[in-house]
Amino acid sequence: MRVIRSLRHILWRFVCAALLAALSLNVSAGSRLLATGGVTQIEGAAGGGLSPWAVLAGTASSGEVGLTAMGTRAWLNDYRLSVGGVGLNLHDHLELSLARQRLDLTTLGGELEQTIVGGKLRLFGDLLYHPWGIWSLGVQHKWLEDGALPRAVGATDTRGTDLYLSGSKLWFSAIAGRNLVTNLTLRHSAANQGGLLGYGGDAKDSASLLVEGSLGVFITPNWIIGAEYRQKPDNLSFAEEDDWQSLYSAYFFSKQVSLTAAWLELGSIAGLADQRGGYVSLQFAY
Amino acid sequence: MRHRSRVMMLAALLSAMLMAAGCSQRQSSQALFAELGGEPGISAVVENLMYRVADDSHIVGFFANTNIDLFVASLEQQLCDISDGPCDYQGPPMDRAHQHMGLDDSHFNRLVEHLDAAMIEEGLPLRTRNRLFARLAPLHAEIMRLQ
Repeated sequence: MRVIRSLRHILWRFVCAALLAALSLNVSAGSRLLATGGVTQIEGAAGGGLSPWAVLAGTASSGEVGLTAMGTRAWLNDYRLSVGGVGLNLHDHLELSLARQRLDLTTLGGELEQTIVGGKLRLFGDLLYHPWGIWSLGVQHKWLEDGALPRAVGATDTRGTDLYLSGSKLWFSAIAGRNLVTNLTLRHSAANQGGLLGYGGDAKDSASLLVEGSLGVFITPNWIIGAEYRQKPDNLSFAEEDDWQSLYSAYFFSKQVSLTAAWLELGSIAGLADQRGGYVSLQFAY
Repeated sequence: MRHRSRVMMLAALLSAMLMAAGCSQRQSSQALFAELGGEPGISAVVENLMYRVADDSHIVGFFANTNIDLFVASLEQQLCDISDGPCDYQGPPMDRAHQHMGLDDSHFNRLVEHLDAAMIEEGLPLRTRNRLFARLAPLHAEIMRLQ
């Protein structure tokens, strides 16, 4: 418990430091082009909103180091999700991330909290220049602060590790002269509702191979709109788990600041059907 | 039923994107060379680019031993050729032209940013800039081959 508190404290200080640094006027940004680091997904990895992309956080390139900080909130019919996270990009080869999620059960009462430590290794390629795009291998280790509720509904574990392989490519001038981004992620995971309802369950205890994908069109170099899809396992017998989908719009004011708004369709969560609603995420990078 | 409607929504979005792509293909009948403003347009972009490179301490060193007049003429010819203009690039292949310069992605990205900024300042619209980048992107592999 004390470890978690100090971890939260450290995370908060990281976020504050990153915000201050990003807001100070003469920050240097990486040399990768605007928006090529995507935004930060709900588990802390560089990506869209729901799914990681193969790109690494921020705009750091060879010989450069980048740092991102994000705050995200989603308002669903019966839940509210809050996420804070930081990402570190080392030479555009390795991304390390830390995120903290809190799910407020506004209808059922109570809350669930989860910490996620992530790593993403760029295997080869480049989002813009390589004919096959960029490919990365990622890992997300997650643990719940209080696993009583997930265990009560049939989850086997309160911590787990997701592995994913992700490929992203930007297609120049693909649609009406605009650039198109496509992303495909294969995830090996036993997480229920992303881990907030624990890992494995009475219906299925083993990990599943899951497909995630997204599309986005850069209307301008600063503004991308698109859709995401994330397949989900269905491990718990007490409630059906649906795949996640979103429609998103992300605006990059600069390499340092981006704002993402999305509409989420998350289906049934813990027995409460039709969980949908708005999503807002603010990211700072330097 | 609800699931099906969501799949339909995504399918509709996807097909709209593909249709838009089809439209853009038809609009692309005008040669990129003409969109760039022909030889005067390319020449203006290259000149603008060279001023930006000269001001960038991170990459200007790579041009220390370069004959700038020859370089400009060669780059203009290459952009004319690659945009289907009436030119035939006579310069060295990209891998040999850049071999052992010690270039990495940060240098490449900076040049791309300068080129984009130059094209914006010379009044070229987004679709034209994107079309040119589509042609230039494959050069990255050649330029990096002998680093």
